[in-house]
Amino acid sequence: MAKTENGVRIFQGLLILGNVVIGMCGIALTAECIYFVSDPHGLYPLLEATENDDIYAAAWIGIFVGFALLALSILGIVGVIKSNRTLLLVYIILMLITFAFEMASCITAATHRDFLTPNLFLKQMLEKYQKPEAGNNNDKWMSEGVTKTWDKLMLQNQCCGVNGPSDWQEYTSAFRTTYSDADFPWPHNCCVLDSQGHPINLDGCKLGVHGFFKSNGCYAAISGPMNRQAWGVAWFGFAILCWTVSSSSCSPAS
Amino acid sequence: MCGCCVVLVLFCLGLLSAGNQKPQLGDAQLATNNPTLTTVSLEKPFCMFDSSLYPNRSYTIYLYVMKESASAMSSLVTDDSNKPLGSTFQQTSRGQLRPYNAAFFDVPDCAVPPRLADVRSFVHASYVLKQYLFRVGDDGTCLYDPNFLGVCNPPLAPDTTYRFKYVLVDNSEGMVKDQTLWSDPIKTRRAKLPMKIDTCVLVFLLLTGFLASVFFAIILKIIIKSIGFSDTK
Repeated sequence: MAKTENGVRIFQGLLILGNVVIGMCGIALTAECIYFVSDPHGLYPLLEATENDDIYAAAWIGIFVGFALLALSILGIVGVIKSNRTLLLVYIILMLITFAFEMASCITAATHRDFLTPNLFLKQMLEKYQKPEAGNNNDKWMSEGVTKTWDKLMLQNQCCGVNGPSDWQEYTSAFRTTYSDADFPWPHNCCVLDSQGHPINLDGCKLGVHGFFKSNGCYAAISGPMNRQAWGVAWFGFAILCWTVSSSSCSPAS
Repeated sequence: MCGCCVVLVLFCLGLLSAGNQKPQLGDAQLATNNPTLTTVSLEKPFCMFDSSLYPNRSYTIYLYVMKESASAMSSLVTDDSNKPLGSTFQQTSRGQLRPYNAAFFDVPDCAVPPRLADVRSFVHASYVLKQYLFRVGDDGTCLYDPNFLGVCNPPLAPDTTYRFKYVLVDNSEGMVKDQTLWSDPIKTRRAKLPMKIDTCVLVFLLLTGFLASVFFAIILKIIIKSIGFSDTK
């Protein structure tokens, strides 16, 4: 009798430990998703303009799932200590719902990472950067967001265009409709600027003389943070889900 | 180092007369963005006309631009009395019918060519670039100024082949003393439409939906089993 008693106690202890881990993972997931939602790199306007910012939706869902996991882990611990079947059943059902949400979030994040190709941002940049008065307010809002984000990107990361400054020469763009090729083969933010924000040598920049213009593309600066965000939300979430499934499937057996 | 090579080449070319030489595109290592959609940067004619220059006389170099087109009526840049034609951009239908005079400038000094290595210096870069290159298509304002009657150097057409020629003119007589050959055909860039850019999206939604439904089925089975367990007990 004592042996099974001990066995049950050990098993309960393991379940409580499992729930503690789930609770802590929930807190970590919330923290991670809050970090991503706060957009430390200022890239949200680019995602917004693709009209497919589901990666942010996935991060938002992650915040709430994290809280839910914390609450459920406490419920689970209480249920295991009291050995109450109803409580445990409620725990499993709620865990299932949370599981479904987190699954959706992970899959969204993982699949939308593949959506963010260089060509997507190239097309968006050419169509929206410095776009003159657009049709409706929504269009205008997105164009302004894209313009501000690109200006900031080019200044902070010393880069130009998605693949390089040649993007502006290879394709027509909204920028080209306003600014002539003779004066602006590429935007002036692509030139190396002095402390006042003026090109150090405009002729050199226009001719493409090395040292007077930025020859790197900005794609690495965009995709780096976004990929980390997508993978962070997706894989951390999957890891938690695996742990949750293994813990939950053990609970009914007790 | 490449600057020294260019200077050496210019010096060697100076030993020949201009009649065998052609205007060249600026050094591609130096000016990487050349030609652009609407501009072409040519090397100035260093040492090309030296055999035709006399001391104590002043000369000007005229640059002529012409579209390489089957419908060109003539490629002459002088009239019957060997004076340079003053045809402008507008008169020649943007270089389609005849060459037009895009610019004139002083004869570059063969004895002291620009040191291209100086381009690295921010202070000297502008001076060196102006001495070494001439940018055709640089000035669009003359097109919009209704009073403008002079020589115009407006932007070229994209995706079009042009040819260029330098002509040496004696200022006092106003006569053409020497001219280069027409340059090799130089084509301006072509711009593609952004709509043609392919933003391919991998659609995993069907597959993930299927996987999600399988997962749900397994979990539901576990629940049902556990409820069945508690019932039998």
